[in-house]
Amino acid sequence: MLGFRLSAQRPPAEHRRISDVVISRYEHVYEVDPRLMQEHVRQQSLPEWDFHRIIENRVEHLVWMQQHFADSVISGDDLIRELEQEGD
Amino acid sequence: MAVPTLDTAVVDELVAICGEENVLTGRSALFNRARVPAPFPLHRWEQFTPQAVVLPTSTEQVSAVVKLANRARVPVVPRAGATGLSDGAVPIRHGILVDVKRMDKILEIDVDDRTVTVQPGINMMKLSQRLQPLGFIYPDDPASYPCSLVGGRIGTSGFSLISGRFGHTRDLVISFEIVLPTGDVIRVGDGGGRKIRKSSSGYQLKHLFMGHQGTLGIVTEATLELVTRPEAEFSAFFSYPSYLDAWRATGEFARSGLATLAGVVLFDEQKVAYLRRDDEAWIPAPDWVKSITAVAMYGQKDEVRAGAKQIMRIAKANGSTYAGDEVSQGDWWSRHDRYATPLHGRTRSGQAVLMSWHCEDAAINHSQLPAVREKWHWIVDDLRRRFDTFDDWGMFSYTNGAFRPGGDYLTEIDVGIWEQRYDEEMWAAWVDAKREIARVAIEHGGSMSSCHGSCREGEVDLLPLELGGGFDVMKKVKRVLDPNNVMNPGKYLLDQAYEEEA
Amino acid sequence: MSAEDVRKGREQATNGDGDGNLPVGIDEWRDAAYNCFSSGHKFCREVCPVMQVTHDERHSPTAFHANVVAMEKGHLDIEDVAEDYVHCTMCGACELRCPNTLFTGDFYRFRQRTIGVVRAMRKLAVDRGIHQPNWKRWAERTDQWGNEPVLGWNIETSDAKVRDWAVGLDLPTGGETVIFADCEAAFKRPSIPRAVALLLQAGGIEFGLMSQQWCCGGPMFETGYHDIAHKMVEHNILDWRRNGTKRIICPDPHDYITIIEHYPELDENFDEFEVVLALDLIADLIRDGKVTLTNEIDSTVTYHDPCRLNKRLGKWQAPREILRAIPGLKFVDVDHVTQWSYCSGAGSNLFVEKPELTAKISRRRIDKVKELDGVDTLVSACPWSERPLTEQGEAQGLEVYDIFELVAEAAGFEV
Repeated sequence: MLGFRLSAQRPPAEHRRISDVVISRYEHVYEVDPRLMQEHVRQQSLPEWDFHRIIENRVEHLVWMQQHFADSVISGDDLIRELEQEGD
Repeated sequence: MAVPTLDTAVVDELVAICGEENVLTGRSALFNRARVPAPFPLHRWEQFTPQAVVLPTSTEQVSAVVKLANRARVPVVPRAGATGLSDGAVPIRHGILVDVKRMDKILEIDVDDRTVTVQPGINMMKLSQRLQPLGFIYPDDPASYPCSLVGGRIGTSGFSLISGRFGHTRDLVISFEIVLPTGDVIRVGDGGGRKIRKSSSGYQLKHLFMGHQGTLGIVTEATLELVTRPEAEFSAFFSYPSYLDAWRATGEFARSGLATLAGVVLFDEQKVAYLRRDDEAWIPAPDWVKSITAVAMYGQKDEVRAGAKQIMRIAKANGSTYAGDEVSQGDWWSRHDRYATPLHGRTRSGQAVLMSWHCEDAAINHSQLPAVREKWHWIVDDLRRRFDTFDDWGMFSYTNGAFRPGGDYLTEIDVGIWEQRYDEEMWAAWVDAKREIARVAIEHGGSMSSCHGSCREGEVDLLPLELGGGFDVMKKVKRVLDPNNVMNPGKYLLDQAYEEEA
Repeated sequence: MSAEDVRKGREQATNGDGDGNLPVGIDEWRDAAYNCFSSGHKFCREVCPVMQVTHDERHSPTAFHANVVAMEKGHLDIEDVAEDYVHCTMCGACELRCPNTLFTGDFYRFRQRTIGVVRAMRKLAVDRGIHQPNWKRWAERTDQWGNEPVLGWNIETSDAKVRDWAVGLDLPTGGETVIFADCEAAFKRPSIPRAVALLLQAGGIEFGLMSQQWCCGGPMFETGYHDIAHKMVEHNILDWRRNGTKRIICPDPHDYITIIEHYPELDENFDEFEVVLALDLIADLIRDGKVTLTNEIDSTVTYHDPCRLNKRLGKWQAPREILRAIPGLKFVDVDHVTQWSYCSGAGSNLFVEKPELTAKISRRRIDKVKELDGVDTLVSACPWSERPLTEQGEAQGLEVYDIFELVAEAAGFEV
């Protein structure tokens, strides 16, 4: 759907438990176990568009921040493969 | 609650000096310039408000304000970004607060002699954004890189996370102009010469005025290094089954002798446990991961690539497990943002609470790290046992030495504090704990602060212990330069300088 | 998500730990404010468009939160701070850049909400009889005419004239889909809604006008006049229901945000409506070949990310995609993260109460454009931004267009 629809803004009820304190509703996306936010600080009901916006903006911001410091990034995974090929 | 007011004649004169739009006396202007992110006794806020705020736009205005303060015997407190974790910018004796944020200009970019001259209110990230198209960077990189200001970096003698390659603030600031506590204006460097990096001429005054926490004057202009922008970056995070394994590997990385090495970071077991609360990189890490190291390198592509390969060899030889590119890059890129969120806080029953992040930082030699670590955690654990308002957020150690990293480490223990709950008992317990943390650092041959400054309530009591006879020299210098004790009085036990005189 | 969820989610529930000093309406912001106070990052300062101009900590997002804490401790009252809270365009940079949003907001489903605090403080001021003179006059005029006035106060913005922009377009009244033209564009820059309408027609979208559109109410929420805002919301929803409307197309991001953030709080059955940004829709039409851009535009442009689109909704890709689809156009991009610290200065009616501050902010924005080689035109996608940017652009020899005006021209329409 292209536009905003209120019923699409609720977090999915289904989730996977990752640890005693963390759950996951989307692949590779972690959330606090809501039981930890009962007594002192209560969760806001963040619309789903906003939830995903934050994640996307975080990634974009990190890439932008890196670009402040250097033009390119060297991959450690590539170096490890190279060392293995060299028998090092 | 009443704030002591300033003589109206003084306020009028401030207006005459700085202009009406640059002098503020309203309550919100005062209450919003009382604190910094350091531990703050929220229950006694009104004790730390200034009586007037000035926002000068020139060195002449700053000088005139300081001269007025001498005549009127009113304290003057300089404030730049107010992001410091010591209390330099906190007006503990009220007075006139000199906020330099309106002095944020770049005055000169000299590509030939590789300097950039700025006013003190400019932020490093903004500065580097301007330098990037010219192929340069100003690589002073604290966690507060996106918000701290050059003036405050000089006032605290700041620590940079990539100092192994580029140096700290003191290495990146070539010379600066400072308004002395009497209002006189001087320029200091190693010797003379605004753009000279090394001089044997006279006393090394630059270092005297570096990290004075506002007690020796107000910086109004600085000439900084213009550093060639790195072509390449390499960052790598490695996992270990124990702290001691990670600690040994840290020493080996640091001993590599690689010129591109910008820093090595060591995360202890409590820190890793803490990251598992909410950090997407470490939540899914296997159970055996108890401790972490990180290595960062910068430079030209060819040298970084070769150096990084060597780091990977050292890693393998020391039982390190590479965390992969995604974690390594993402965690390094989020180094300014990731570690000071209030919702990291947990009560003993595990409920999330909003806690302030307080980082007790010391400089500790590599050999002493394991022993200091044990003692520090004991102190914080004891606090948490007594008050359900403190939380141990674990420890980091960062290579501390500029250009030759690895012999000593900025070592911090991060403590979450539920400041909404502060009362006198809790505050006193916290101050005692800070003093004990500092004492451990000194007893192990370290310094009780590597980067923030040590003028906060608690550890400041130990300054004479750390400096020995040096503290007496500090007092003499203070008395000579600031005869009326107007410049940020009450900091660093320097009131003692005047008691002895009387 | 129910209306109650939204109400609850808008603010943090009061948790009972407080000192009990906070006025109703501010008390629910206690933890949200403390979330900022206790971290003290201040990363917001360098992206805040107002702080970049005034450099005064009273106007920093940090202060906006700290004031709540100070009020709770009995140090400040609304009289001390009401004027400080005028200094905000509600651009959203602060709450987005805050690590409490950007790094943990999703994890905890608890993010920094500075705009909400500012809105609540402005409402408290109005409720206590502390008015900003021009905002008060603006609110009275909006209440009187149903639509916001136009700066200069010389254009009648009554509902008798709200459909004038569409004259000659043969748009029906009502229907399943309606276009919701914002006040500024409808009365001041009608070329924008006309361009949108022509493009939608070309793309085969059937839509009509509301029988009697009122202001979305956003500026009334933003400046503290919530009773007037509520009237607007109720009126517009009633108009939609009476005409069988199910889908609302918004050319203006301000309207879109007001409708998706505020309307559901006030209407139990809001789920029957779909709210669409014209930008998304038109990007789709171009992508699908339903609108073809054939006229070359010989111009070198850069794009201004409107704050509501970029910082508050995360929508920055569609306008870039559209600009790249215009033949002949040279597009010099400045990335959207850099633009978190850019603003036109128009937002949340700052231009009404503090026009000199808006002018300083927009001048800085135009200065940034002038740093780019060869750029002769600045393109925005928000009518509110275009007034101050056009004023400052004229002073510096730069043209300012709305993206829809440009797209319509490329599609062969005259607006």
